[in-house]
Amino acid sequence: MLEVDLSLERLLFNLNTLAELGEEITSPKDFTRVVKSSLYMVMGSFAASKGAIFQYDSEDQRFNAIAAKGLSDIKGAGFKLSKEAVKEIVKFNKPIDLKGDPAHAALLGPAKAELEKASARVLAFLVVKDELLGVISINEKFSGQDYTVYDFQLLSVMAQHISFSLHSHTLLTKLMHKYTENKGLYENLRRIYYDTIHAFAAAIDAKDAYTKGHSHRVSAYCTVVAREMGWSPDEIEGIRISGLLHDIGKIAVDKSIINKASPLTSNECRELNSHPVIGYEILSKIKFPWKGIPMMTRNHHEKVDGTGYPDRLKKAEIPLGARIMALVDAFDAMTTDRPYRPRLSFKEAMDEVRENFGKQFDPEVVQPFISVIRKEVLGEVENPSIVPLLQEHLDSVTVNRLLEGFPGIS
Amino acid sequence: MIRKHNFKEIGGSVILYPNNYINDIEGEKLEEMCEAFLKKGVKKIVIDFSSTDLINSIGISILIGIIEKVKERKGAILFSGLKKVNHDIFNIVGLTRHIPVYKTEEEAVSDLKWEDHAAV
Repeated sequence: MLEVDLSLERLLFNLNTLAELGEEITSPKDFTRVVKSSLYMVMGSFAASKGAIFQYDSEDQRFNAIAAKGLSDIKGAGFKLSKEAVKEIVKFNKPIDLKGDPAHAALLGPAKAELEKASARVLAFLVVKDELLGVISINEKFSGQDYTVYDFQLLSVMAQHISFSLHSHTLLTKLMHKYTENKGLYENLRRIYYDTIHAFAAAIDAKDAYTKGHSHRVSAYCTVVAREMGWSPDEIEGIRISGLLHDIGKIAVDKSIINKASPLTSNECRELNSHPVIGYEILSKIKFPWKGIPMMTRNHHEKVDGTGYPDRLKKAEIPLGARIMALVDAFDAMTTDRPYRPRLSFKEAMDEVRENFGKQFDPEVVQPFISVIRKEVLGEVENPSIVPLLQEHLDSVTVNRLLEGFPGIS
Repeated sequence: MIRKHNFKEIGGSVILYPNNYINDIEGEKLEEMCEAFLKKGVKKIVIDFSSTDLINSIGISILIGIIEKVKERKGAILFSGLKKVNHDIFNIVGLTRHIPVYKTEEEAVSDLKWEDHAAV
């Protein structure tokens, strides 16, 4: 190692390089580019023609090349160090001169020969808080001059700068890995959650041979009407789930009552009509991420004139979601076969809606419902939800004629 | 903005005129350019720095890369037109010990000792 010969020009050059290195490692540039630029700065400062930066993988105790210059075929190159060597190197925490410091160079064991094959002369290990993160390797100076004490001090400072960059990147990588892992777990949970809800809906519909798919249709119809009414995506998701579960209380109702073709006795009627309250009791025990699901279930048989059940609520007292559900639930019941009657045509169903406009059904809900049907018939909706399920062809002329004179519809 | 480096071919030689800054890894384009000329069979390269205001440590690293490539091909390289600040940096890192530096491009080209001095 030579003694120091410092000129003002040299000090300024090195000071400028340190300032640029600081700027580089805190820049938002791509990590690969930052590492490459940092290596070039180190090599340029000492006029080295061959150099590399290796990142340390503590799991397999291996250093892997992440940047190199002047060395061909460095891809996949690397070397291993023993745990003891790593411990000693961290403790020493100074650049190692492979030629001039045989005692510390010996710590590298078989890796020394591998590094020398890559023309390494000086190694500067990258250590942050006693954690080994990597190493910078550079060869002899191009000028043929030897490394000085000052060079080792400068290299040590530059290595500290680069260590911080590598440390931040390592932390970020670990964080991203954890985030991806958690995201995957969350997605799994979410899938299980939705699968469970769909399984419930299927179980509900399975009790009634005639209402196969009823819960899914009510859910889909609720969704499009709520969207038409300008609900937020979160509110729409809430009513979609609510639609799937609105008849969950029927699980407690005897199957023979649900499927009875003849008129129900008063006791049977009472039992069947208990399903909104039973559903409410089941769902109110579940902490849903969306608001109002238990109440939409409880009140989906209320009528705006106050003659519905179970709470005989009037228009404004009924949650809006329950008013949407009341309309689409009745509409689907009318347009599908029932044990006691065949399905009604679209015209017949809309006549019923017109008949009960402002009595059973809320005009504020009927209007967007009709608007959605019109848009679907005109092909203005990308994925229509109601019209394709009606089992009859509807065109705009027919729909306009059917809806002519509908209260509140222009 | 990264400007393309200019060059002038004279017989089997080429004179390269780098941009005013060689201070980031975009400067590698100069190295790629030299490599392309060497592959074409050009053996003598003059790099004229008269338009270059700043060469930092990254620039030095790139220039050493160029010199090594010329050396591999048994070619010759000369520098000219260095401003004082850049000449000082070349001195600090020891480049002037091995590569002849001329005041002007003309001097570099016309130097009769070109072959003797420039071979690296």
